[in-house]
Amino acid sequence: MVSDAAGEPGSPLADRWLALDRGWQALALGLGVVAAHAGAQAVGFF
Amino acid sequence: MRPVAAARPYLPGLALLAAGALLSQVVAGAVDGLQPLVVAVAVGALVGNTVGTPDAAEPGVGVDKLFLETGIVLLGAAVVVEEFLAAGPTVLGLVVAAVAGGLLIAELIARGLFRLDGETPSLLAAGASICGVSAVVAIGRVLEARGSAITFAAATVLLFDAVTLVAFPIAGEWLGLTGRQFGVWAGVSMFSTGPVAAAGFAHSPEAGQWATVTKLARNSLLGGVAVAYSLAYAARSATDPGVRRLWAEFPKFLLGFLAVAAIANSGLLSPAALESIGRVSDALFTLAFVGLGLSIRIREMREVGGAAVGAVLVHLLVVSALALAAVRWLL
Repeated sequence: MVSDAAGEPGSPLADRWLALDRGWQALALGLGVVAAHAGAQAVGFF
Repeated sequence: MRPVAAARPYLPGLALLAAGALLSQVVAGAVDGLQPLVVAVAVGALVGNTVGTPDAAEPGVGVDKLFLETGIVLLGAAVVVEEFLAAGPTVLGLVVAAVAGGLLIAELIARGLFRLDGETPSLLAAGASICGVSAVVAIGRVLEARGSAITFAAATVLLFDAVTLVAFPIAGEWLGLTGRQFGVWAGVSMFSTGPVAAAGFAHSPEAGQWATVTKLARNSLLGGVAVAYSLAYAARSATDPGVRRLWAEFPKFLLGFLAVAAIANSGLLSPAALESIGRVSDALFTLAFVGLGLSIRIREMREVGGAAVGAVLVHLLVVSALALAAVRWLL
């Protein structure tokens, strides 16, 4: 699991990400992939 | 640069997963009919049971579960509500009865007859009753099952996929079923989507279309079954089964699956974009399956192998016999 990370303090963004439950991480990544596709479609890639 | 530094411990393991996934694609591409996911598990298992996972790669290899859950979120893009409705009330009724009855029968057979315990009966029930390996993986993540248990259940399902792919078209011919009857029968009885469609089209084009639509309708029940299993296991293990605890144990990625399914059915994304999302999901599954393979311990599989295969075989015979009677009577 990503949140089992090395334990060293990193950037606030990395810390916040690592503190998330894995289910929320997966949800965020999945929606991010969909948003990227929507953006690519908007600029005519798809 | 600090996020890059935070990611550094994961790089060796991610490189190992990526190398295994690439090798799986190359091997599966070179051999007709070989599924990349099967090769990915085999590659992982080979490495895991020979040289083992290097210590430096452990953090990165552990990301496999995140890949699995993200892949499941993206599976939502393949849910087509219109196809579910187009299958018609009779077929929908058969699908719901087959999934609900199949889950119950599989749990009873595995726990009562074959004395399997833990999450394995639920993983086998999900794989046999909903959509094969995808269901095993989704329910496995929901129940926080061990990687080796998930991989073992997936391997059992894949074994039956291979056998039923050959046996069902022969049986359909022998039984003299119409294309529609055979397609729906295969759609509610067989396990994974690919073999169901292949068996259907091996019988006839009409059977192939009915098999595919029926199977997709069955697959669309995955979210509901995952939520039901999540609540059942949380209630069983809870000392204080309040709403807060149920929410704490609820797999949040299922909300993502439902959200992506809603987006996919809203018409917002083009077919090409949805296809691309499906490819991302496939790639994440391949990476994750290399990780799952790395967690396989052959000795553990030998200990439960016979009982699991027996349980799934009895389940398949019971469900396919009941489904055969139903399609002959109703269609």
